[in-house]
Amino acid sequence: MLAVATIKSAIALLVLLVLQLELFSSLRFFGVMPELLLGAAIAAGWYGGPLGGAIVGFSGGLFYDLYLATPMGLNALTYAIVGYLLGQIATFLSDEAEWIIRITISIAAVTVGLLLFVTFGELIAEPNLYNKNFGKVLVVASLYTGLLMAPIHYMMAWVFGVARFPTSGFDR
Amino acid sequence: MAMPRRYGGSRFALAILILASVTLISLDARGYAPVDNLKKAGIVIVQPFRSLASVIFDPVGDAWESLTNGDELERENALLRSQLDELLDYRIANEGAVNDLAALRTQLDLQGLGGHQTVVSEVTAGSVSNFDPYILEINKGTQSGIREGMPVISTGGLIGRIENPGLRDARVRLITDPTVNIGVLAIGTKEIGILSGGGVGQPMRVIDGIPISAPVEVGSILVTSGLDRSPYPEGFAIGSVVEVIPDEVNLEKELLVEPTGEMNNLDFVTVVLYLPPEMN
Repeated sequence: MLAVATIKSAIALLVLLVLQLELFSSLRFFGVMPELLLGAAIAAGWYGGPLGGAIVGFSGGLFYDLYLATPMGLNALTYAIVGYLLGQIATFLSDEAEWIIRITISIAAVTVGLLLFVTFGELIAEPNLYNKNFGKVLVVASLYTGLLMAPIHYMMAWVFGVARFPTSGFDR
Repeated sequence: MAMPRRYGGSRFALAILILASVTLISLDARGYAPVDNLKKAGIVIVQPFRSLASVIFDPVGDAWESLTNGDELERENALLRSQLDELLDYRIANEGAVNDLAALRTQLDLQGLGGHQTVVSEVTAGSVSNFDPYILEINKGTQSGIREGMPVISTGGLIGRIENPGLRDARVRLITDPTVNIGVLAIGTKEIGILSGGGVGQPMRVIDGIPISAPVEVGSILVTSGLDRSPYPEGFAIGSVVEVIPDEVNLEKELLVEPTGEMNNLDFVTVVLYLPPEMN
């Protein structure tokens, strides 16, 4: 069971990484791209609990770190924490929470993730993270990722073998 | 209300993952070679999937760009037409300009690139992060003789330097990055200053080194100085001065500089296989 989930999560993260690097790095709104792998950590926390969120977040962040000039592990650290926190929050929410609730919480979590990433980066004196575009990046990236959260939720539900989805929200 | 689920051991796992992340950050910041090799190995493994995705998604990206930048392209087109008209008028008014241009090219040593070997490389991607827009990815690496720190040029002049080259790919750190500092010389003078990147959409700046009496004006061309421990060879055009701000207190001029090298919508760049003398 664990092996299946591991293989599924590796496939899902690879697909999201390639989409992030090859598609969404070009499809920018106001020069800002979505944070798909952060979205994956959030959705993994939702369906896999704190442990699943932390592990998928760490793995996704590590994948993404391969391609960034920031030190290896900075995204992994951030995404693991965000995945864990979402897992904790999700334990208090119903499995049938409406989509609007899922998306709203996901958008807030992306914002928290970006804030954490920049805060950790500043703590290790990493240049270029906090700049005059930070506010724009925070708002646009959160909303843009929020737009894409529904398929990411489906993907992570598949990874963790969760069959139950809310029947309200989009289906109404 | 749903009953809270329990996940035993998740705190312990999170602690382990945080510890692993902090260790990786620390090792990578110190330039620990195995972490660097791990990065390169990971990139090589993912590369076939990226190449395949690139074939599929590049047309989508191009279509999106033409959609979102349509107005900008029209404006740019109109601006270029007006500039072309001005240049034609200028040519008629000043036949000696051709000779001046030839002299300038000789002075900048642009034709021969200073006798250094070069490698032309395709730009495979721009920045893949929201927080570091000063990066390009190219499809040549150490296998083609490219090494860390080598200068990269495009039409018009220097645009950046090589960072973290892999076997068949490398990153280019653009000179507009605020953390990049370059020693520059103003053409026609002996004044040397330090040029710093200004960030996205902002001009670069020379804050120190140009005395207020120096004959550096709007339109002056700045080139790499090549002095001391400069990682760049001398004489590569970097930018032209667009504004001069006198500093009466320090008796210096602050220069705002626009890069001469083309940095937008690049398909190819040239890497100059130059290493500073102490690294050779």
